[in-house]
Amino acid sequence: MFNGTSAYLDFIRIRFLTMLAYRVNYYTGILIYTLNIGVYYFTWKAIYGGGGELGGFTASQMTTYLAVSWMARAFYFNNLDREISTDIRDGSIAIQFIRPYNYIMVKMMQGFGEGLFRFMLFMIPGMAIAMLLFPVKLPTAPEAWAGFLVMLFFSFLINSQLNVITGLMAFFVENNEGFMRMKRVVVDLFSGLIIPISLFPGWLGDIMGFLPFQAITYLPGSVFTGRIQGVGIWQVLGIQVLWFVLLLIPMVWLYRMSRKRLFVQGG
Amino acid sequence: MKYYLGLIVEYLKNYIKTRMTYRADFWVEVISDLLFQATNLIFIFVIFMHTDSLGGWSQGEVVFVYGFFMVPFGVFSCFINLWGFSERYIVKGEMDRVMTRPAHNLFQIFLENVDPPALVGSIIGIVIMAVSGSQLGLPFEWWTVPAMLVLTISAVAIYTGIYTALTSLSFYSDAPTGILPLMYNVQGYGRYPVTIYNRAIQVLLTWILPFAFVGVYPASLFLEREEMRNMAFLTPLVGGVFLLIGLTAWNYGVRRYRGAGS
Amino acid sequence: MNAIEVKDLRKTFKVQKNREGLKGAFLDLFKREYNEVAAVKDISFRIPQGEICGYIGENGAGKSTTIKMLTGILVPTSGHLSVGGYVPYEEREKFVQHIGVVFGQRSQLWWDIGVIESFQLLRKVYRVSEQDFKHRLDELVERLQLQDLLNRPVRKLSLGQRMRCELVAALLHNPSIVFLDEPTIGLDIVVKSEIREFLKDMNREHGTTILLTTHDLQDIEALCSRVIMLDDGRIIYDGGLEELKNRWGTGREVQFQFGTGTKLAQLQSWTAGLPLEWSADNDLGAKVWIPLEINVSDVLGQVVGKADITDIKIVETNTDDIVRSIYQSGSAEKKNGEAAVQQDEGVVTHV
Repeated sequence: MFNGTSAYLDFIRIRFLTMLAYRVNYYTGILIYTLNIGVYYFTWKAIYGGGGELGGFTASQMTTYLAVSWMARAFYFNNLDREISTDIRDGSIAIQFIRPYNYIMVKMMQGFGEGLFRFMLFMIPGMAIAMLLFPVKLPTAPEAWAGFLVMLFFSFLINSQLNVITGLMAFFVENNEGFMRMKRVVVDLFSGLIIPISLFPGWLGDIMGFLPFQAITYLPGSVFTGRIQGVGIWQVLGIQVLWFVLLLIPMVWLYRMSRKRLFVQGG
Repeated sequence: MKYYLGLIVEYLKNYIKTRMTYRADFWVEVISDLLFQATNLIFIFVIFMHTDSLGGWSQGEVVFVYGFFMVPFGVFSCFINLWGFSERYIVKGEMDRVMTRPAHNLFQIFLENVDPPALVGSIIGIVIMAVSGSQLGLPFEWWTVPAMLVLTISAVAIYTGIYTALTSLSFYSDAPTGILPLMYNVQGYGRYPVTIYNRAIQVLLTWILPFAFVGVYPASLFLEREEMRNMAFLTPLVGGVFLLIGLTAWNYGVRRYRGAGS
Repeated sequence: MNAIEVKDLRKTFKVQKNREGLKGAFLDLFKREYNEVAAVKDISFRIPQGEICGYIGENGAGKSTTIKMLTGILVPTSGHLSVGGYVPYEEREKFVQHIGVVFGQRSQLWWDIGVIESFQLLRKVYRVSEQDFKHRLDELVERLQLQDLLNRPVRKLSLGQRMRCELVAALLHNPSIVFLDEPTIGLDIVVKSEIREFLKDMNREHGTTILLTTHDLQDIEALCSRVIMLDDGRIIYDGGLEELKNRWGTGREVQFQFGTGTKLAQLQSWTAGLPLEWSADNDLGAKVWIPLEINVSDVLGQVVGKADITDIKIVETNTDDIVRSIYQSGSAEKKNGEAAVQQDEGVVTHV
């Protein structure tokens, strides 16, 4: 008999082990993420010049925000879009669809296995190095950490949902490459990774408030740097949950459409 | 040489024929490339909304450097596209097919992956340079165009060297994803005035992953910034050295792939 | 003259050891361990010009590794190698001008554009003159009946059509030696026999030397005058197909059908004294296995007069059976030698 839960958990374990085999990527990955933080740290330092506050961030909050956002990305980033798109193009999706599991769930599980790996071998050591090199100030309250971990998990969920949606698009456009590249750029920019959203000109910031991307980096980062406190934290979590639920709709719909397309029209 | 030039033409023809079947994709790709570039421009504009100078460089200058940066990058992305090399050529075994043909293997791989939409970026880069250059009142000298050509070729050589060297790691490690995407972040840092970074990052971007030579150094020649002029002159040399390193690493990698001397 | 000469050819690979479980994977992250694995173990053979030679063996026997060395993709660990007068791995780019290679499972054609465009490109790659190209293409297109397919994109071709185009792609530069790796894999019988006929003609008309690996022994029977059989990196048979059948064929099978029910025990008692193996599905049909040293007529003589026979069929052992039996005995013989080998090589694993 197919035992759902344990099989799905096994996908997490297997992906975790697979990731372990690719060590070169992650040694260099840590270095490059540290470099990214460093470059932005010095860029912002040059911008702040003497001191002051930009978009509600002090220079020291900006440093922490940078380190936290890049390290969060080290965890939530994955290539599910590329994997799904490849499965679709080489036709192996058909086999996936007839197996007794939900393909999207499997992909999410694999993404989570990858995330766990990245969390332990990428994010934590990377964070340690960043704290050694740059004046990063992390909160000490355990609630802040607990809250951050929960939000981080939602960052992962929302980012992965966007990836799955982009990946499934390969069913409906001939070459998905362009969309995947676009998504990557949009997520990095609009999630607040490169520039905190409060620094954007008002109208652009307003638009981003209505998009799911800010829930990936900007909102959790703001909470963790202490810019949002108290009741605001619950609001942030609320926004994340809301986007998680809202994104389920197009994801499930696309999945249904894909199955239909595959079985009715033969791919 | 004539043989290889002929092959370039032939492969481009095939590319165009392929693209005739997927015309919509061409534009999606162009737009996504442009969006990628736009992100970086947005970054520059947002920064300068909050400050007047970045380490002593004005917005116009930083935008000009960005325009320059786009030119060699577009050329490089068009002709040297090693994304997914490991997946396609090592894991799926296409390398074997390449090896049974009478042309240099790396050259064949470059040609099989030409990506002309990327050239649109180069054109836009030139436009950006022209616009911000005239706003800054930069002089147009007799040497401007030749220097642009030499510096572009040198910068493409630097990219080629670095990416070829990194891609040749696929012959050693069985990682399917590689570190190329990560490099995409790093290369962008060479288009800001590197003097704002600390010593370690400056050294890194100048001598180890010399991305400063594909952006701010050569562009400073046109901006007439004295402090980087010598670095600008050094660009062709760095290009030559890194291209050599890249090709050597590649040839070693291929040797290993073929099981010789490992 | 020999088209291919191979002497003491050896290829060993370093294979990464994956330790088990979570802890093992962590250890692998920091320190890798490797095994030396010999894929091809000091083989020697010569193939004269104009011969079609079948190169067979089970998966992992070392076939593809050999082919990759012969085509210049891999450099041998040791041994001598000469193909068409070249040492393949030394002057690869010059050498490959003279060979054609078809990998049955890998395409060398552009996926999205007309087949003819791929041919045009290959013409440039192989520096074939416009005139030779036209002549050669016409000939191949005619012979393989590709007229209607030339402008169709590869993704719209059936597997059989694609395979015929792959052959053209590999032969445009008129190579004198052709390597075919599983050329008929996945094809239906009609296409298979078309391709076999084509290869035979090419061999006859142009004197092309062909080395082909296959799992389909009918390819071998239809094409090859000679067979090299590989097992675990060593050649276990090299010679003619007929000889192979004579030497390894263990007997024949005779199938009977009876008008009235005939018990197996009855049949066995009629031929008692002869070393035969009877088997039966039911009372109306039976099979007997006759070793080579006994004449079929002797057996028939014992049965024909006594049973009510409606039909007799004599089946020669086919190559499949022979090969299977060689593998079985081949590996049985090897058992003793293998133990010694394992000791000097450390752990031997199949690649």
